[in-house]
Amino acid sequence: MSASAHAHSPGPQDPLDPRPFIEGQQTDKSLNDNLLDHVWRGPGKGWWACFSIALALLSCLAVTLGYTLYKGIGAWGNNIPVAWAFDIINFVWWIGIGHAGTLISAILLLFQQKWRTSINRFAEAMTLFAVMCALIFPIFHTGRPWFAAYWLFPYPSIQGIWPQFKSPLVWDVFAVSTYFTISLLFWFLGLIPDLAALRDSSQSKKARFVYGLLAMGWRSSGRHWAEYKWAYLLLAGLSTPLVLSVHTIVSFDFATSINPGWHTTIFPPYFVAGAIFSGFAMVVTWLIPARQFLGLKHVVTMRHIENMAKVMLATGMMVSYGYIMEHFVAWYSGNRYEYDMFFKVRWQGPFAPVFWLMAFCNVVVPQIFWWKRFRTSLVVVWIASLLINVGMWCERFNIIVTSLHRDFLPGSWGTYSPTWVDIGLFTGTIGLFSTLFLLFLKFLPAVAVQEIKELRHEAEHEAHAAPAGASGGAH
Amino acid sequence: MSHGDAFVPQRYILAEFPTPDGLLEGTRKMREKGWKGLDTHTPYPVHGIEAALGLGRPAIPKIVLAGGLAGAFLGYSMMYFMNVVDFPINIGNRPPHSVPAFIPITFELAILLGGSSAFFGSLLALFKLPQPYHPLFESANFQRASVDSYFLSVEVPVGKRPEDIMDDARLVGATNVEVVEESER
Repeated sequence: MSASAHAHSPGPQDPLDPRPFIEGQQTDKSLNDNLLDHVWRGPGKGWWACFSIALALLSCLAVTLGYTLYKGIGAWGNNIPVAWAFDIINFVWWIGIGHAGTLISAILLLFQQKWRTSINRFAEAMTLFAVMCALIFPIFHTGRPWFAAYWLFPYPSIQGIWPQFKSPLVWDVFAVSTYFTISLLFWFLGLIPDLAALRDSSQSKKARFVYGLLAMGWRSSGRHWAEYKWAYLLLAGLSTPLVLSVHTIVSFDFATSINPGWHTTIFPPYFVAGAIFSGFAMVVTWLIPARQFLGLKHVVTMRHIENMAKVMLATGMMVSYGYIMEHFVAWYSGNRYEYDMFFKVRWQGPFAPVFWLMAFCNVVVPQIFWWKRFRTSLVVVWIASLLINVGMWCERFNIIVTSLHRDFLPGSWGTYSPTWVDIGLFTGTIGLFSTLFLLFLKFLPAVAVQEIKELRHEAEHEAHAAPAGASGGAH
Repeated sequence: MSHGDAFVPQRYILAEFPTPDGLLEGTRKMREKGWKGLDTHTPYPVHGIEAALGLGRPAIPKIVLAGGLAGAFLGYSMMYFMNVVDFPINIGNRPPHSVPAFIPITFELAILLGGSSAFFGSLLALFKLPQPYHPLFESANFQRASVDSYFLSVEVPVGKRPEDIMDDARLVGATNVEVVEESER
């Protein structure tokens, strides 16, 4: 029987795909050692090279943010009629990238997709950093961020006026800040047992003190685990509708207005699918080099990469369906403005190259994942993930700038081009994201060690249980 | 150094088991022998540990439910007070009390308070963390509890001999048994 051939491979037996999630013979101790190894090892040349590039990009952020504060948002390219441009494009793009982390950590947990265990920590960290990058834009596009609290948060001011809760922009404030807070708590809750493992396997006194402080005195207690498991599951259960609500609310910023190209009921599901699509692409972009350099190939296997390619294919198809539906409704509604927006302005207008680049990256590129040969080729998956990141950025450009620059009245038409500040800010957030991510990879375990140990234990149980019926069960 | 008679060190028996299944079995037997103050220490949540320790239903779901409901209630009543009672503004001639428009923030605040109570409710209220010192940390062996070992700890009741517990622990399958004593600081 083929089952006996796999009896010793440590991975739950899936009749459709018998490849294990954890490769090689591992014990709790060996997993602990090799998964924490990259924290204890000094940073290599590669890490320093990446980190200095990231810092250089981060300095772009410092310069452009400083200049924006000094000059005001007039330094940006957006103006009437294109009042939203790079700021909101980047905001939506980064928030979308964050969504894959929550999908992997929460939704796949509820669906008992065990392969998520190897990548959830990684993806959750990405969520946090992506949301930080995203938040920069709405905060700074208020012009004077130190006053932003005044019109964003309901606090009792001396004027006695309050935010206007019928506006989707105010919903956005609550959705994104809740999303950040809950993602942070969820990530940290999952991290505590691993911080304790770091504390307990540290060699230096300083590391022991710092990780001990962060682990808050976790003593792996069974009484705690009993509640902890539920707390973690409940946070996953709460994060699932939360992540769907966040991009839904982001899409309301557009869908509740009457602009041609924005006024569509398909926006919420199509935004959520696009968010997960771009988020998975970003996870893959980082995961493929990271598994190589951090020595994680035995827990982030080709099976994981292939599964992620499949998710990209599925969400890519959903996004494509969204594009088709938008066009269909624009035609079927008989609305002149909608029709012109989709079939004339987007296809042939001044920003048509962005549209066609988007269509290529988001509709055509993921189709290669129908073939197993491409799903299992690291180079192909990596390049495709980069193209999808580009495509999703183009999608937001297309929705925001292209729709705004052609209004109902030809008299209010305009055009848009970004300034160096816009470009510097965008590059700078990539630097911020990379810097934080590289620090995370250096100082914290990139995979959830505790969950991998549990997965290994479960797999061992299953492997022992399978032949026990036949041979009378040795202990 | 004045050793007043106020300080009575808390003592624990720390018993190591070779396998998670052995730990479950041993914990159940120790509990059946009547020992109180049992706890297990494992690198990951071992399946079935609740039953072995004789724990009841977890408390955290109720805390989260209460947090979520409080969030929803606070969210809705905040908006109602601000936009309906205190300072109604006519925007697009929509009613000041517009239920559909109040749903998103009600939902978000339910999640915010529900999720926060899952985190703070478990860590602060139930686990009493942060707790930098625990007598068990005195054991050098105990460092392996978060790495690859399966421990049972038993609080030594006042007036009982630790040796009795140690013997029982060995009887139910513990391989390595030691006494851990709280240090005076």
